[in-house]
Amino acid sequence: MENVGLEMFLAVSAVLFVCGVVCMATKRNAIGVLMGVELVLNGANLNLVAFSRYGSLGLDGQVMSLFVIVLAAAEAAAALAIVLAFYNNHMTVDVDQATDLQG
Amino acid sequence: MMSPEFYSEVGNLLMWLLTAAWLLPLLGFVIEIFGGYWSDRKSKTPAYLAVGCIGTGFLLSLVALLTWVDAADLNLWHFGDTESAAVAHHEADAAEAGHEDDHSHSHDHADHSNAHGEHGDAHHDGGHHGGHESHANDPFKTAFAGTFYRLGKYGSLDITLDWYIDGLTVAMFAMVTLIATCIHIFAIGYMSDELTERYEDHFVHTEDGGHFHRVGRFYRFFAYLSLFCFAMLGLVLAGNIFQVFIFWELVGVCSYLLIGFYVERKTASTAANKAFIMNRVGDFGFLIGLMILWTWFGVFQFAETNPETVGSTGLFQMVRTADGELETQGEGREKVVVLQAQQGIHKDGGNPHPTIPYFLLVAAGLGIFGGCIGKSAQFPLQTWLPDAMEGPTPVSALVHSATMVAAGVYLVGRFYPMFTPEVLLVIAYTGCITLFVGATIAVVATDIKKVLAYSTISQLGYMMLALGVGGWLAGLFHLITHAFFKSLMFLCSGSVIHGCHHEQEMTKMGGLAKKMPITCWTMFVGVVAISGLAIPFLGIPKLGAIAFSGYHSKDAIVAAGMTFSSLNPIHSLLFFVPLITAGITAFYMFRMWFMTFFGKPKDQHVYDHAHESPRVMTAPLLILAFFAMFCAIGGENGPLAQLILTTEPVHVAEGAMEAGHIGLNLPGHHQIHEFHASAGAVALLVAFGGTILAYLFYGLGIVDTGAMQKQFGGVHEFLREKWMFDELYEWMWVRPTLVVATWAAAFDRCVLDRFLGFLAGMVVAISSWDRRFDEAVVDRLVNAVGEATSSVGRSLRYVQTGRLRQYVMFIAVSVVMLFFVLFAYLPR
Amino acid sequence: MSTVLFVIYALAASGGALAVVLSQNVVRMAFWLVISLSSVAGLFFLLGADFVGATQLLIYVGGTVVLLIFGVMLTSSGPYGTIKSQPAEVVQAGIIGMAFLALVASTVLSVNWEANEVRLAHANDHAEHGHVHEVSEPESEQGYNPEESGNTTRSLGTALLGVRFDKDLSLESEDGSNHGHTHGNHEVSAGYLLPFEIVSVHLLVVLVGAAYLARAKRRVDVENA
Repeated sequence: MENVGLEMFLAVSAVLFVCGVVCMATKRNAIGVLMGVELVLNGANLNLVAFSRYGSLGLDGQVMSLFVIVLAAAEAAAALAIVLAFYNNHMTVDVDQATDLQG
Repeated sequence: MMSPEFYSEVGNLLMWLLTAAWLLPLLGFVIEIFGGYWSDRKSKTPAYLAVGCIGTGFLLSLVALLTWVDAADLNLWHFGDTESAAVAHHEADAAEAGHEDDHSHSHDHADHSNAHGEHGDAHHDGGHHGGHESHANDPFKTAFAGTFYRLGKYGSLDITLDWYIDGLTVAMFAMVTLIATCIHIFAIGYMSDELTERYEDHFVHTEDGGHFHRVGRFYRFFAYLSLFCFAMLGLVLAGNIFQVFIFWELVGVCSYLLIGFYVERKTASTAANKAFIMNRVGDFGFLIGLMILWTWFGVFQFAETNPETVGSTGLFQMVRTADGELETQGEGREKVVVLQAQQGIHKDGGNPHPTIPYFLLVAAGLGIFGGCIGKSAQFPLQTWLPDAMEGPTPVSALVHSATMVAAGVYLVGRFYPMFTPEVLLVIAYTGCITLFVGATIAVVATDIKKVLAYSTISQLGYMMLALGVGGWLAGLFHLITHAFFKSLMFLCSGSVIHGCHHEQEMTKMGGLAKKMPITCWTMFVGVVAISGLAIPFLGIPKLGAIAFSGYHSKDAIVAAGMTFSSLNPIHSLLFFVPLITAGITAFYMFRMWFMTFFGKPKDQHVYDHAHESPRVMTAPLLILAFFAMFCAIGGENGPLAQLILTTEPVHVAEGAMEAGHIGLNLPGHHQIHEFHASAGAVALLVAFGGTILAYLFYGLGIVDTGAMQKQFGGVHEFLREKWMFDELYEWMWVRPTLVVATWAAAFDRCVLDRFLGFLAGMVVAISSWDRRFDEAVVDRLVNAVGEATSSVGRSLRYVQTGRLRQYVMFIAVSVVMLFFVLFAYLPR
Repeated sequence: MSTVLFVIYALAASGGALAVVLSQNVVRMAFWLVISLSSVAGLFFLLGADFVGATQLLIYVGGTVVLLIFGVMLTSSGPYGTIKSQPAEVVQAGIIGMAFLALVASTVLSVNWEANEVRLAHANDHAEHGHVHEVSEPESEQGYNPEESGNTTRSLGTALLGVRFDKDLSLESEDGSNHGHTHGNHEVSAGYLLPFEIVSVHLLVVLVGAAYLARAKRRVDVENA
């Protein structure tokens, strides 16, 4: 484990994060967008735990990541409910159709 | 005479009683003036409230009077030994006062005896040195004084609200409240036609030929009456000359309001203005007097009598020594009056006492008396009073007896110690002229109220004359007796006017005795009283002659005048004029009575509709008639005179020889007493003469008055025109004022208006430029900012595509860009 | 051994994430997401955060992804329903994503973490204790001991309650005297009890809200049908 440094974990989390962002930016399916969000959160989580291992954060990082996981679950539940409501109204999950707030 | 404990106890009791009596009418005024608007106009509640206030005030005053008499330990019934009883009494008091002063002012007195020792007594012109060992708070031994509230202190001058209670104060309080109560009750009946929502004023004609209509002002009338009483009582209770001035002006304001009560009548509003402006002329003199007093004395208080305030002195104590003399130094223009005080404003080099130049003391006295001239309608400011008849009759009664005109006489009496012989002579001559002018005009007046008005002027002249010739007691005695019978006669005339439906011309009356007997015979009481009639040679022992109040007081005045002219033969006019006028007075009063109540009815319409007044109006007449008969019972040895006498300034009793610059001889009590009997006889004779003449002229009608008028056409016309005073003033003051005003108006139009127009034009021009600047620059700037914001918003609108994915892209791109910018431009 | 495992897990996580991005089918995306998230859980285990890793597996893989799949089932209009993005968009997003990745990676690699850590600890120490004493060694400021890794459950539980084995208590018990941490200066951390409660209430509220949002229209639809 000694030859695996903090940078490696951060690199992986960066990949996850960027993938999440790209996923959010490209997927027209609302559920796809949600998955992107999950990826972004996971990247952040990985960051936290890595710092908790290598940095002076101690258990704080892990506790934070736990909270993030919980909040992600909550977010997923609420977002899915919103998606379902949207689906019930528009019979689609295409986020491009959701342009009601266009300026 | 009294211990300090007793003094403060009695003084506080009196103060509370009289203060309550003084403030009650104010309370009534406040309630009436504010409550009147929301209460019913047909309600008599305001009247009952006013009567209740002033009536309670009377009861309190009565209690105060009794308290005072008890405290002063007076024996008011000096009938046993009539031989110089008054003088004896006075001397006894003086002796007691001296004793008391030794006791309570020993410290003070030590300083003074030192001072006198150094300077000797050579400078005194009076020659009375006896009382000098005891300097005193006390020519005014039975007075109580104190302070309610200090308004402010300016340097050495305290402006305070003080009270000053002596025999004159309590007598005035009782008199004012009693008469005011009667007048209030009378007014309930007299003003009852104001109890309506729609009052028709027959004297005001509208343009379409009808009469003016307005709402009734019953409550307002009573509110004003209450305020009037409050002002007058405050004036009497006032403990310093400045406070007197305050209430003096308040009395003026109230008279203004009441004379102008029928404000829609042009004559009434003009009369109100005239009364007020005439009074201002006099008040100007008052103000000058005040300024002199302020500058040279530094105090306004009349006198300090409280044993606890040893060392501080009032005006009277500063001017007069303990035995009432003026202490003077120097001769001619250098003459100064030494003030009896340690602390003072103006001190000479070697003199421990402050001084005031003699001529300034004279000027101060003349100034104060100027105020009294205006207020008491003396020559030459008497013309406002007849015009004041425009007010409702109860107001006339109040103004003419107890309140307004009495204020002037009261002040002269109160301020007597400050008057030098020169001032007294001016007062005497002013009164002399006034009484003659008033009486002569009254002879030819035909308006019943005008007759009474001129008789008031004349009687006020009597009072002033009496005060001027040294008859201090006579003047104030007459003030009170006159208040009773004059208010009685005014109310009687009010009853007549009310009964005849506002007909005031005596030429349309006549024979009313059958129609209104109570009014007729109460009026008779008043007429007899003012004429000074008595049953000669038939006196009840100890009570003196059988006579009504007027006889006693007028007798005293004539006696004083007679004594004065015998002592100063050059001023014998001051005896003969009032003597003759006594006859004229009897003549015109009986003329009025006969014309009104006897003879054949001259106007059948008026006669048919005449009726006796309701009981609410006749009851006050009966009360006042009683007092007009008996208030002066016993004459100068009677209780009323003795009560007033306790207040008499010390120096009056002995009189003075060769006093002042002009060497005037002022009579003392002894001298007056010598002339008393003969003066009374002469005055009675003259009065009877006048009465008989009137009876012949108007009672029996054996002389054709019309022919008389033609025979003396010029004189008659002159008198009808009131000695041409109004015309004289018109030419002397009004016309020049109008001319100057015209010039001023022309100046205004030609110079000031043009200048102001030019300024205004400048301002307009500047503002039009300013407007252009506003429109061109400011507005455009603001609009540009608004347009810019709006267009930015409009362009940003396109960024809000509503597409989520684009937003994510934006975020990512902007993060990248931000980093690039940071790395590119920020220093490492 | 751990290096090998790290490589495997890292590749799986990155590859899964890339596959999520690239695949068009929602169900496949979900599958790749499961792969990626599980690998991240493996990375957590490698980092010694066994509880967090287990939670990751339980909640994400076992809960959230199932939830997403249910969402797919409830919303897909047809079998294998795909909504295609335009290629230009994909290219755009790819470029930006690459740029972003390059940015982040370069940032990560350019920072000297060790030195930063020392500096940070130094600053913390100054802030807490002023100039009283110097920091002895940077190692002592590091997180919990690797030898004890794999047993964080109890520590986490007590940490939630405010008792910190890794910081306060451990230092004192081992070499507190050396460090100069006296009882008086010592401060027990605040703990995460309040955030924990807030989060639990938050979760409850979200679930209620989600149930409400998801139910309301359906009932209307049923009634309409």
